[in-house]
Amino acid sequence: MRRQTTRIRTFVAAAMLAGFAGTAALPALAQQSAPPTTTPTTAPNPTADSVNEDMLFKQGPKIGGRISIPDQKAANLIQPQGREWRGFHETWMPWIGAAAILGMVALLGLFYFTRGRIRMEHSEESGRKILRFNGFERFTHWMTATCFIILALSGLNYIFGKRLLMPVIGPDAFATLSQWAKYAHVYLAWPFMLGIVFMFVVWLRDNIPNRIDLQWIKAGGGFIGKGHPHAERFNAGQKVVFWMVAGFGTAMGVTGLMMLFPFAATDINGMQIMQGIHSLIGVAFIAAILAHIYIGSLGMEGAYDAMGSGKVDLAWARAHHDLWVEKEQARTASGPQLRTHHAPAE
Amino acid sequence: MKAFAVAVICAVAIGIAASYILSSSQRFAWQAFSTSSARVSQPGTNLVGPRWTGDATGPHDAVAGETTAPKRS
Repeated sequence: MRRQTTRIRTFVAAAMLAGFAGTAALPALAQQSAPPTTTPTTAPNPTADSVNEDMLFKQGPKIGGRISIPDQKAANLIQPQGREWRGFHETWMPWIGAAAILGMVALLGLFYFTRGRIRMEHSEESGRKILRFNGFERFTHWMTATCFIILALSGLNYIFGKRLLMPVIGPDAFATLSQWAKYAHVYLAWPFMLGIVFMFVVWLRDNIPNRIDLQWIKAGGGFIGKGHPHAERFNAGQKVVFWMVAGFGTAMGVTGLMMLFPFAATDINGMQIMQGIHSLIGVAFIAAILAHIYIGSLGMEGAYDAMGSGKVDLAWARAHHDLWVEKEQARTASGPQLRTHHAPAE
Repeated sequence: MKAFAVAVICAVAIGIAASYILSSSQRFAWQAFSTSSARVSQPGTNLVGPRWTGDATGPHDAVAGETTAPKRS
């Protein structure tokens, strides 16, 4: 009897449970089978009504928050120009840098193997020396040049280091090297800028363009054909190098200072632009100086002596800077300058 | 050669001088922009430490004590 009662209770409970489950499933079934309604609802849609990125950018170029620390720049949440800047220096810049530098190396190699080294033309004046650059001029050239080489290598490390160097030497060695390269880049920038100022002051007078430069350019600078066009202390090509160094050096200094003293003169967007200009001019500067190094050493016999010992062969000077030689000889021959200016044409 | 040697020495000397001058005028961001409110740990650390062992000694502790040369980002 008791067992029968238990069976009845179990059956009733199961029936009630099944009925409840069926009732709960009805709305879901109805929802699936019912046609879509077009009745407007007054309930808010949080997703559609919430603030989104596009809406915030209509109010200003950046999205910022509210912070309590003194550095209000930290309130900046999204600055879209930063994505463009990152895209530039991570995708475009390595290709631009490689094209500029490897392109110049290829051009110089082509020039060397087709034109060959420009040999010294001997004459009866060969063996006699004339002072081309005095001690201070060579000092300021080498101070700027040595700093430039360190700045160029450490600067290229910013672009190519993690791509080319880190796989070779490993991340730990690369991190240490990059840290020291960064110190060298930041601190040797100062003697470099000083050297640029010195060079500008010392050589400005001899680098003013004139009609002789036009004739030099028309004659191809002596690179095309035979003979050498007239030139004063600096020919048109050297004047281009001078003004390039002065202009690029100034631009690199200004943009570098903007980054060295962040937010002192411009905001984050301005600093990103400065970094882009700095890197673009930097690779152009390196490519141009590669040509300068080539023609001052391997490319032309006798040219290195001008910055090596300061004295060049008189025959070389007569061939490449004839007007300057005449002026120097006339000046030293007049007497008093012999003591102060060490340019004995002998 | 003499001009080159003097130029290199001067470049290094000016670079070192620049490093000292810049170091004296620069501070870490967490030093320059920290508030007077309470800070429960050194910047770069948390209360449980980097390995969750309770040893909260972090890389900036030595810098905070100025026992080594400051490292800038």
